[in-house]
Amino acid sequence: MKWQKLKFYMTTIWAITIKDIKIFFRYPINAIFRIVEPIMWITPVYFLAKSFQIGGENIGFKLFSGTSDYMAFLIIGSIIASFVSAILWGMGFSLKNEMDSGVLESNWLTPVPLLVQMIGRSIFSVIITLINSLIVAFLVWLIFGFEIGNGIVSAVITLFPMLIALYGIGFGIASLVLITNNANNVIDITNYLLNSISGNRFPVEILPRVILAVSLALPLTYGFDSVRGILLETNTLLPLYQEQLILVLFMFVGTAIGYFILNKVEKYCKTIGNIGHY
Amino acid sequence: MSHYAIEVQDLKKEFAIKKKNVSFWKRRKENKSFVAVNDISFNVNKGEIFGFLGPNGAGKTTTIKMISTLLRPTCGKILINGLDVQKNSMEILKNLGTVLAGERSIYWKLTGRENLKYFAAMNGITGKKAKEKIDYLLKRFSLDKRADETVEKYSTGMKQRIALAKALVADPPIVILDEPTSGLDPQSARNLREIILEFKEEGRTILLTTHYMEEADQLSDRIAIIDHGEIIALDTPKNLKRSLNKSNTITFELNRWNDVIEKELQQIKSIENINSYFDENNRKWEVKVQINNGNETINNLITTITNSNIKINNFKFEEPTLEDVFINLTGKSLRE
Amino acid sequence: MDTTYESIRVSSKANASPSILIAIVYIFKKELTQFLRYPSWFVSMLIWPVLFPFGYVFTAKALSGPASSGINTFSALTGTTDYVSYMIIGTTMWMWVNWMLWGFGSSLRREQVLGTLESNWLCPIPKTTLLFGYSFFQLLYSFVFMGISLIEFMLFYNFRFTGNPLLALLIIVASIPSIYGIGFIFASIIMWVKEANSMVFLVRGVITVFCGITYPLAILPNWMKGVSSFIPVTYSIRSLRAVISAGARIGDVRTDIMILLLFGVILMTLGILAFNYTQKKVKETGSLGHY
Repeated sequence: MKWQKLKFYMTTIWAITIKDIKIFFRYPINAIFRIVEPIMWITPVYFLAKSFQIGGENIGFKLFSGTSDYMAFLIIGSIIASFVSAILWGMGFSLKNEMDSGVLESNWLTPVPLLVQMIGRSIFSVIITLINSLIVAFLVWLIFGFEIGNGIVSAVITLFPMLIALYGIGFGIASLVLITNNANNVIDITNYLLNSISGNRFPVEILPRVILAVSLALPLTYGFDSVRGILLETNTLLPLYQEQLILVLFMFVGTAIGYFILNKVEKYCKTIGNIGHY
Repeated sequence: MSHYAIEVQDLKKEFAIKKKNVSFWKRRKENKSFVAVNDISFNVNKGEIFGFLGPNGAGKTTTIKMISTLLRPTCGKILINGLDVQKNSMEILKNLGTVLAGERSIYWKLTGRENLKYFAAMNGITGKKAKEKIDYLLKRFSLDKRADETVEKYSTGMKQRIALAKALVADPPIVILDEPTSGLDPQSARNLREIILEFKEEGRTILLTTHYMEEADQLSDRIAIIDHGEIIALDTPKNLKRSLNKSNTITFELNRWNDVIEKELQQIKSIENINSYFDENNRKWEVKVQINNGNETINNLITTITNSNIKINNFKFEEPTLEDVFINLTGKSLRE
Repeated sequence: MDTTYESIRVSSKANASPSILIAIVYIFKKELTQFLRYPSWFVSMLIWPVLFPFGYVFTAKALSGPASSGINTFSALTGTTDYVSYMIIGTTMWMWVNWMLWGFGSSLRREQVLGTLESNWLCPIPKTTLLFGYSFFQLLYSFVFMGISLIEFMLFYNFRFTGNPLLALLIIVASIPSIYGIGFIFASIIMWVKEANSMVFLVRGVITVFCGITYPLAILPNWMKGVSSFIPVTYSIRSLRAVISAGARIGDVRTDIMILLLFGVILMTLGILAFNYTQKKVKETGSLGHY
């Protein structure tokens, strides 16, 4: 019986993935913009960095971070940040879209728990985000050029628990989006805030004390920091293993929180009856 | 001044369809065209209700949009009060009150009153005059109690009424209604039909589309039946049904029946066909008589039956409907 | 109030033509009512002015190093060491364009999706009235936004004027026709391209990349400089920085203002042409109500 249920869930997850693939390719412009946007955002920062360079090196920056290659620093940040936004937009926005077009209710009418549905959604999102980030990284390397050391494998392993945690949080945010009427805004602000404060473009040490405190409380900060530590040998906030431990902890806590919010919101929506409403 | 409210001559609308076969890698475009309205002509008299009856996708909405300046015809001519729609669109719009299909033609995030105020101003009515007009309309359409709630909180029927009020805000002599009762519950639909009849009493000309034949039958002075973009019949409902030349059917429930009476009945000239059948369960006879001329025969028929000492328990008279007319003309049902 | 049935009887005489000005006022009022009724935008109006420059300001701080040891190149290129004001001015102009695109540029498309566009089209007013009505509302919105931004900049980023604030205002006013000209073109295009999101990304992307929101134009490769000289926002940002941070006088920025006005005339004309063309096209294809 249990096995059958599992098999049913697997089929569902597969069906959701296929549906997402189809929808994704139906909007090819969106797909292109997911690649273009991160690069676009890098440009002004790239030129900003250039206008601070002395003899092609960011000397001032080196004193803070331990590397003078700001571009590599920025690009690692941008790739991780693009993961964060892809998750937030992918999860929250697709849910909101379905809600607005009325499909969401038909999904909720299927005998599949919301959690399974969310997992189904994430799978395609992970794959596409991965491919997306690789393309972005490649193009950035082509356009701006950067060098990273060895240790890509350990960087990926470090990042992995963080990604899972982000999906957990992503569920939560996605479901919060359901009860607000301005999804774009909520996601946009959360995304920008989260990425900036965790230091997608600069070492967080330079932040004013109050904001630094917030930053240090965000696990995402250690994600940015540790990967840069591994790849660029920058100074890390904490010893590397401690940061990695934080990320693993974050994985459990993050998914739990996400699951909790998701359940709460589902209950709320069903009481209020505002799923189909917009 | 023309004596028609709306004149439509050889109107045609052809849409180019770009059928995108989107695959991510390849984008094939097939260019096809689709004739939504094909060479239709009709005139609407001043003060009449003119019904446009046809199945979904027959070209009703396209025609309406061309009349109300929203769409440009491929060819053909539309005159409203003698003015060419193409050349005098501003003048035309002042004479038209249009309610398009669906409930989305008003601002959901504004209140009913705010919507009317806005559209009044957009029609050049402001200040005291607007206020009076709006109060009157809100009352007339029984929206006055909830006039200051946002439209999103209204029921479908109320949304339809506020859309109607919006169309009437500039007091247009011609009112165009696209599927006005679609999606309404029977009670609201009935109320709306009454309102439409009131419009007529006020001297307005009404052009309405519908795919409900009963509605067309009940409201319209004349009906154009449209299918695949062509008008296939245009007349008063009565004439349309008469044109069918179909016999009426009378069904009797009788306590007894025999061949003698059947023969006797067949003597009556206007009777075309008699079908009898004994209902075992209810132990009664059901006799279907088809007659081809109305009321005189009925009297004759009943007299003959009662004279033979047969008791009539019940009887039913069936007239041909517009549905029958449609089936007769197109070979398919309206609802298909 | 007692309106009898009789008085409402259909008059044989049509109503007077609505005044365009009154229509604009009412469109303005309608937008304002809707806006105030759902104030979730207000939150972003408060957050973004602080949030958006945040990343750039601190990036600049990181780049300049401890005790501003790395700022020499920057000050040589820009003539100022005040990188905070420098970033703020660029990002504010960017946000203005961004709001304009989302708010005004997408307004017609939004009405199209909601289904109210056709109702407006059915009113006996020239359709360009709609565009002007919306732009006046958005303009008010932008000015409130800039006012809030200014206060927040002073509070959070220690922003101060070196030059004449009125001259800065003049530059902003001179930028209005070109920015709304872009808006007119944009609004027209997305009514039939129907990809509002992607189009916003595209247009603001061009501005992000080329207009020097965070860097001095001198640093750009030549071909990029060429592109940026065709975008009015470049001149707005450049002259605003000159006035606010370096205390430039009207004589110094006269050329930039002239260029902005010239752009304004060209882009406004193009915008109205684009809108009329779209109106025609939409009438032909009947896509006014579809989405």
